[in-house]
Amino acid sequence: MTKPVSTDVMRKALMRSNTRLLLSAVMLFQFTAMLLISCQQDPLDLQALIFAGALPAATWLTTMVMGRVWPVDRAIVILAMLLCSVGIITLSDIAKSPSTPLTQGIYAGAGILAMFIGCAFIRSVRKWDKWVLPGMILCLCALLSPWVLGSWKDGARNWIVLVEDKVTLQPSEFIKPALILILAAGLAKKPRFLKCLPILAFAAACCGILLSQHDLGALLLYFLTTVLMYFVATSNWLITLSGLGLGGVAAVIAYKAFPYVQKRIAIWQNPWSDPLDSGHQIVQALIAIGSGGLFGMGLGLGTPRNIPLYHSDFIFAAIAEEFGLVFSICLLAIYVLIIMRGLVVAMNARTSFHSLTAFGIVVMLGLQTMLIVGGNTKLIPLTGVTLPMISSGGSSLVSTFLSFGILLGISSMNAEDEARDIEKLSIREEVF
Amino acid sequence: MKSLRGKMRLVGTLVVCLFLVLGVSYGFTVYSQGSVWASNPYNTRASGTTAHMGDITDRDGITLATTLSDGTRQYLENEQARRALSQTVGDQKGMSGTGVENYYSATLLDISGSLLDKLRAAFSGTERVGSSIQLTVDAQLTTYLSSIFPEGYEGAICVINYKTGEVLAMVSKPDYDPVALLAGEEAQDTAYLNRCLQGLYTPGSTFKIVTLASAIENDPNVLNQKFTCSGSWNYEGGTIVCAGNAVHGTVDLKTAFAKSCNITFGKLAYQLGMERLRNTAELFGLNENFKFDDFMIYNSSFPKSGENLSDLVWSGVGQSQVLVTPMHMAMIAGAVANGGVMVEPKLVERIQNPLGITTHTRSVTTYRQVMSSSTAQTIAQAMYQAVTSGTATRAAISGHTVCGKTGSAEVSDDKSVPTHAWFVGFLAEEEHPYCVAVVVEHGGSGGLVAAPIGQKALQKAIEVVG
Repeated sequence: MTKPVSTDVMRKALMRSNTRLLLSAVMLFQFTAMLLISCQQDPLDLQALIFAGALPAATWLTTMVMGRVWPVDRAIVILAMLLCSVGIITLSDIAKSPSTPLTQGIYAGAGILAMFIGCAFIRSVRKWDKWVLPGMILCLCALLSPWVLGSWKDGARNWIVLVEDKVTLQPSEFIKPALILILAAGLAKKPRFLKCLPILAFAAACCGILLSQHDLGALLLYFLTTVLMYFVATSNWLITLSGLGLGGVAAVIAYKAFPYVQKRIAIWQNPWSDPLDSGHQIVQALIAIGSGGLFGMGLGLGTPRNIPLYHSDFIFAAIAEEFGLVFSICLLAIYVLIIMRGLVVAMNARTSFHSLTAFGIVVMLGLQTMLIVGGNTKLIPLTGVTLPMISSGGSSLVSTFLSFGILLGISSMNAEDEARDIEKLSIREEVF
Repeated sequence: MKSLRGKMRLVGTLVVCLFLVLGVSYGFTVYSQGSVWASNPYNTRASGTTAHMGDITDRDGITLATTLSDGTRQYLENEQARRALSQTVGDQKGMSGTGVENYYSATLLDISGSLLDKLRAAFSGTERVGSSIQLTVDAQLTTYLSSIFPEGYEGAICVINYKTGEVLAMVSKPDYDPVALLAGEEAQDTAYLNRCLQGLYTPGSTFKIVTLASAIENDPNVLNQKFTCSGSWNYEGGTIVCAGNAVHGTVDLKTAFAKSCNITFGKLAYQLGMERLRNTAELFGLNENFKFDDFMIYNSSFPKSGENLSDLVWSGVGQSQVLVTPMHMAMIAGAVANGGVMVEPKLVERIQNPLGITTHTRSVTTYRQVMSSSTAQTIAQAMYQAVTSGTATRAAISGHTVCGKTGSAEVSDDKSVPTHAWFVGFLAEEEHPYCVAVVVEHGGSGGLVAAPIGQKALQKAIEVVG
């Protein structure tokens, strides 16, 4: 009788073979796309050429190292790297100065580091409850900091300046994973409504601060994520629905009270009425999407620079112009894939805290993507959030990588737990 | 944990479903609206890339713009003609957003061509040639109209066929030279504006057509009513006077219309009330989105709120907040001529792809029946009376039945600047179904300045278009 192969080895082999094809395809895409961009310049665009080598290498290294150190879900790593490289490729292609994709690349490097840290962090820390209160205070302070250290920019005040004119930081981005962790810690024990109040009050306070900073996109994200996490944790339909209702009432009041909200809605309803001023952004985005058509103008052949904020809020429209409708829908499918794998991670988690954390990360990713894509395509009013992993902007990128790291950490713990279960099972089988 | 998973599955399904909705609606809107978005005048992607642009010809096949083999864009030889057609045809730089070269750039460049075509072109290495567009405009008529426009004045003339909607001529002054523009010479900003489509003017007395239509449609007996004009009328809150302090005495409606009596029409508006007048105006297309297949016309507007009596009385004579485009005014005159049926204006006669296959031909599209045919007939009679014995006598053409209405629109509160001179009119003839709208900014009296231009326009249209 042959000795049975260790289940751990079996699992690892299975995972590798599953993702090997995906990894090769992603690396091929990154290489060819960057090579194409490089060849469009005469002489060759050196930076793009370096990226053509660096992107696949980074993807391969990250996947391998991460997969060797922890039994993480490699598909999520690869897809995250794919999204991130779509961002760098698009920026290399359309940005005015070559420093934009370079900075994005550097931030991506920092992001990968943050992913490792996030993964290690969630795996190592076990006691959550005592961190909730200090965490809340820290988050509120960070959220309030733009009032002291920041200034108004593009109609919102959600930035703090670290190095003058160079490095800015968006605290609301980094609060996202923190908020999810705090909510998950507070809601994990399925408490009664009254016991949830401090946590919910904290979330409400965050939303209030964001409203004062005119950061409607982040506000909406925080609110919906909180409500959905509360719902999943407590299964309390009544409170959830009344929470949503309250949000609706607040939205109506905000609409009546704040002219900038009214303006957003008016632009959304008819951007063509003022195509040169208030409707300029969305009109140019729609024109870009329309010009792209089914298969796009071609990499480097479009002029998405006509779209204001083409590198951040409207990068989806820029991608739609360059790569076309089919590719941009595939991009949405990639998000859906990540979300589905993330949901599997959430459902397989052994403790409700980890389960809720993974769920919160996935839901926030999904909501954020929908908000900005819907806004770009005039399906819903535009709210300025980034397209996760793709839009240029360090805070968002690093924070999203951090969230992915946490998600991956949970997936690795799941895999270990499962392997342990199987081992127990097989030991039992040997006994009988 | 079990209920946790259940709810997660629920929310997760919801999120995935929302993504599905997002993807499908996104795909669907791009599929159905994408080419409309891309052909928007604010799309500057086409400008500067004329290498493959197709030809633009007029209704007789005269080439208005073409691309030479070396890729340069060539316009008409004659500078005067080039200028006359500048805003209609557009330019390579895309300065005139309403120009065909810009508005139809997707067609001219064949951006919307099939993937197969694109692939074939990519592999064969040949440059793709865009479709060519034949317009409904007559270059000769347009050039002529441009030449008779009073020197030094700004304004617009448009001539359309009121049965088919074909736009025969659009003249907008000042104009510019697309060739000089390419050479780096910049015209004044307002020259890029097509005033026929984008100029919003106070219509003045020409708007009495709408007031009259409203009155007859709401109460046909109004035609038997007599009005007394003593030169001025004090309503509660103000006074309305007739132009040139004229006193028209006791008149019936048609005569008051022909003589353009402000007092009668102020009273008429007063009788009707804001609500009914606005309803008729909106039926005629004011306050509506004029986005037609071939071009976008700025929205004419009628006061939406304001129950102020002064607004009401002055709106009845086309003053106050009433604003229209010349093209819209021509369409209104056309509706009178066409038995109350307003047709959509059309600019594109035919689109031919590079293989010579016609992919689009003009068709007649009814915008709306804006009034009953009997009302239209009555107004036509009143407009005929205006030409035979009223303010528009200078529009008469011997041997032809011309109907018209003049207007001298006040554009200042204290009469410090001359009025805008207006004329709208049409030929009440089956074989010459042409209508015209003329506006000369600060030209003075409509009867003296605009009506003769309208007369020449209609006469020339008979000559050259047939």
